[in-house]
Amino acid sequence: MWLPNWPILRLRRSGAASADVPAATVTSERGQRRLACVCPLAAEAGLRVGQALAEARALVPELEVHEATPEEDDAALARLAEWATRFTPLAAADTPEGLWLDIAGCGHLHGGEEGLCAAIARRLAEVGFPARLAVAGASGAAWALARFASGKAECVLPAGQERAALEGLPIGLLRLDDRSVAALRRVGIRTIGALARLPRGEVSARFGPVPVLRLEQAFGLAEEPIAWPMPVRPWEEIRRFAEPIAAPEDLTRALAWLAGRLARRLEQEGLGARRFVARFSRVDGVVPAIGIATARPVRDGAYVLKLLAGKLETVDPGFGVEMVALAAEARGPLSAAQAALDGKPDTAADLAATLDTLIARLGEGALWRPAPMGSHVPERAVGRAGPMTEVAWPAQLPDRPLRLFTPPEPIDATAPVPDDPPLLFRWRGRVHRIRAATGPERIGAEWWRRTPDPTRPLHDFIRDYYRVEDQQGGRFWVFRIGLVGAPRWFVHGVFG
Amino acid sequence: MVLLPHRPALSPPAGLVARLAAVRPGVGMGAAIGACLPGGVLPVGALHEVGPEDGAEVQQGAVVAGFAARLLARLPQGAGGPLPWLWVAGREDLYAPGLVALGLDPGRLVLACAPDDAATLAAMEAGLRGGAFAAVVAEAGRLSRIAARRLQLACLRHGRMGLVLHRWPYGRAAHAVEEAPSAVTRWRIGGVPSAGPFAPPRWRLALVHARGGVPGEWIVEAGERDAADPVRVVAELADPAAAAQRRGVG
Repeated sequence: MWLPNWPILRLRRSGAASADVPAATVTSERGQRRLACVCPLAAEAGLRVGQALAEARALVPELEVHEATPEEDDAALARLAEWATRFTPLAAADTPEGLWLDIAGCGHLHGGEEGLCAAIARRLAEVGFPARLAVAGASGAAWALARFASGKAECVLPAGQERAALEGLPIGLLRLDDRSVAALRRVGIRTIGALARLPRGEVSARFGPVPVLRLEQAFGLAEEPIAWPMPVRPWEEIRRFAEPIAAPEDLTRALAWLAGRLARRLEQEGLGARRFVARFSRVDGVVPAIGIATARPVRDGAYVLKLLAGKLETVDPGFGVEMVALAAEARGPLSAAQAALDGKPDTAADLAATLDTLIARLGEGALWRPAPMGSHVPERAVGRAGPMTEVAWPAQLPDRPLRLFTPPEPIDATAPVPDDPPLLFRWRGRVHRIRAATGPERIGAEWWRRTPDPTRPLHDFIRDYYRVEDQQGGRFWVFRIGLVGAPRWFVHGVFG
Repeated sequence: MVLLPHRPALSPPAGLVARLAAVRPGVGMGAAIGACLPGGVLPVGALHEVGPEDGAEVQQGAVVAGFAARLLARLPQGAGGPLPWLWVAGREDLYAPGLVALGLDPGRLVLACAPDDAATLAAMEAGLRGGAFAAVVAEAGRLSRIAARRLQLACLRHGRMGLVLHRWPYGRAAHAVEEAPSAVTRWRIGGVPSAGPFAPPRWRLALVHARGGVPGEWIVEAGERDAADPVRVVAELADPAAAAQRRGVG
């Protein structure tokens, strides 16, 4: 993506430069004031980059002159790249006046790569940045096409056609410095195609390695390293080591150091975190990670270390660890601790500490408290709440089994009349003869939900539950679906 | 197989049971069962094992869980107010609404899911050590002697009750429960037919082993929801020691 005259665009956007007057930025070069960037209006008037300011003023008396501020321009470009991450996660500034966007796999969200280009160009034009975009399989090709003056403002190059598209383009679009371009022109190489037809070895020998590299990057033959900005991890402490470490004691010590620093930072902000993740960057590029989760926000470094130490043995340091990082996630407010004045033990803190040990052992989702849900369908009547949550259950509930099978298990049942409880049923290879039964308790589907299978009538989801006791004293919760035709029987639970 | 010499079950003098219960907190089990337990109650700071009889119950573990829930609901409350219970299991089929009828408040229950027996018992120990739970229940198939010893020590040190419920995965036969247990008591419970369609459920409850006590076997019935004892004895099956000898368990 090319943003021509970015410094002036930026100044106009910020209101420092007026839109309808020729404008230019100037820089001091060897004691002489020269133009660094000229706007299209000024270019029409005959000004060009590198001209002396005095000469430019003589040509265009109304010229608006601004001091060039390359650092601010680059910073603004980086902010624009961050803005562009709404289109693709990989967006980087291409100083001085362009952006790299890696849109692999992002086009379909905007109706193809053309649609994506149009969307980006439209959004930029709305804020006053006329941009030129090109999509190509190679970075160099996209760069050249975006800047090719007679091309379209948005251009999508099909894969594999880089060479054909770039053949007739001037050599200046190959991202070479002015001296190389001048040198190539001197020997009559004016187009990229002309350069491509020459033997690479001779070009390298005479003009250095850069022209060949740029050519290959334009044709997609060479990789181009682009420094994608990584999102910052503000709540992370990192320690790098001059020599890789591998001993468990060393790793523990590094973690202790990081946990202490993180704890101090969290304390300053009055925060705690419920999740801590430690990453170990190994010399061979593998990054094993361990994490702990706690029931309440914590920040005590020693406590975090104790929980992490239990998992440290799962980390294989390989040939050594170069960098250890500890991040605090799921942060929440945590005020400074104060002991209770009446000297009573803090049962909630004890519980939180025990739960943290258990969560570190079993995993984050492995602990919960059952919570009542507003449903009469048995399998939907219980939800899960966090292990620290206070849950209120009603004191009286209809009689329910102690073990519930989800899903209900089908059984072969024999009932004398369809409307009766079964006389015997076979389940898991055992025959249960019923000696007593109570019921039925009819539980229907939730009419406010969509039926699981709309092709079947609603009464297929009505269940008649019976509490049955077999001759060995086993007590089961069985139900029947369907009355007419072939009723189906299931066992849904066992009473304790 | 160790056969203990016959020890007659002495009925303790009146009032002694109550006095012992006052100094040694525990779950009252009623007079008939309490006579087989040292101190007349099921002690709190101790590890107890509950196993099923044969049949489908070995895998379902419903009767065993019901017995455990009735015990939990009658634990004496400590100074710190009502503490939660921890229930660690490999399967997630414990149905909280079913606990309400047994007098257990599911809101005080913390459930945990562990991948295997070893993790279950390790989590149980962690739960006991914190002292933050009134009791910890673990569903596990095998309880090795070393594990039982560790758990018993954790129970003793923190004054919390530990219950190990023997339950095996579907499609696997039950292993023989190891001899010479480290748990303070070991119970076995299985269903028997109840008195009628609306009668409370009945079980055959056997105290297989009690440290400092004598074995016994009873037919018991579920009591009222707020009854003082978890079960009500309907019939004493036999002379406990003789019954134990008949089964060949000491």
